Amino acid sequence: MADLSIAMRQAGDVAILLPAGFINAHTVREFEEALEGLVRDGRYTILLNCRDLHYISSAGLGAIMGLIETVRDHQGDILLSDLQPNVFTIFDTLGFTQLYRVFGDEDQALAAVAPERKG
Amino acid sequence: MSVAVSMEPAEFRLVIPSQTRYLNLVTGLAKRASLVAGLDDATSAKVSIAVDEAVTNVILHAYHGEGEHSVELELRFTEQALEIHILHSGQGLRGDQVVLPDPKEYIKHPRKGGLGLLLMSRFMDEVRFKADEVSGRNECCLIKKLD
Repeated sequence: MADLSIAMRQAGDVAILLPAGFINAHTVREFEEALEGLVRDGRYTILLNCRDLHYISSAGLGAIMGLIETVRDHQGDILLSDLQPNVFTIFDTLGFTQLYRVFGDEDQALAAVAPERKG
Repeated sequence: MSVAVSMEPAEFRLVIPSQTRYLNLVTGLAKRASLVAGLDDATSAKVSIAVDEAVTNVILHAYHGEGEHSVELELRFTEQALEIHILHSGQGLRGDQVVLPDPKEYIKHPRKGGLGLLLMSRFMDEVRFKADEVSGRNECCLIKKLD
C-alpha cells in the first residue's frame, strides 16, 4: 500500500480532498501539489476530509499553513472534517483548531459554508 | 509453564539510511515499542509523531537531505521510561540552540516549518540534544515516562 493516496471531488464550489494514509516528510510533496493545484485552478474553498488520514506530521501542517493566507485573501478557506483522534490531537496541541474550522463530518462542513457560497 | 521476565533494562538498535522513505517504518516501530513499554494507544501515537519529527530533522537538516548517511535509533526500555535515542553524524544541535516557536505567534503569522520541535516537546516528557564536536556523533534523546 502506498504511504499516501489522495482522492478529490467537487461539491458545488467546495473542492474536497481526501488524503488516505500518512502525510510526512516523504509524502508531503504529493499533498502540497494537490493543494497548490486547486489554488492554481482558482478553487479557494477546500475541505480536507481526513477520515482515512492516519497521521500527519509538521511537514503536512506546514503545507496547509503555506496556503491559508492565499485562499483567505480570495475569500476562500481550508476546512477540516472527520479527524481521527490522534490527528485531531496534533492540530489541537498546536492551536490549529483555533485557526481552522473543524467539523465532525463532511456534511456539517458543507452546510457551514453553503450560505457563504450563496452570498 | 511460566516464563521469567527480566526486569533489567532492555535495549536494541535500528540503523536506517538517511532517507524519508523509511519514516513510516520508524514511526510504526516507535508506536509498537511504546505499546510494548506499556503506554496507551493515544500516548503511543504521540511518541511516534515525536520520533517522526526527530528523524525528519536529522535527514533534512543535519544531513541536508543527503540520503547516503545513517540514522541510528536506540530504544531503551526501563521500569521508569521509554527512551528513544536518535544518533547521527550530521550537523549537530545543542540544547541551548533550540528555540521553540510560540504557538500563539505562529498562528498570528503562519509560515511553513518550525513546528516539529514544538510537537516533540509537547508530546514527550523530555527532549535532549547533545552535540559532540570531538567525535562528531550527535544525539536527540526522547523520553516518555511510564506512569
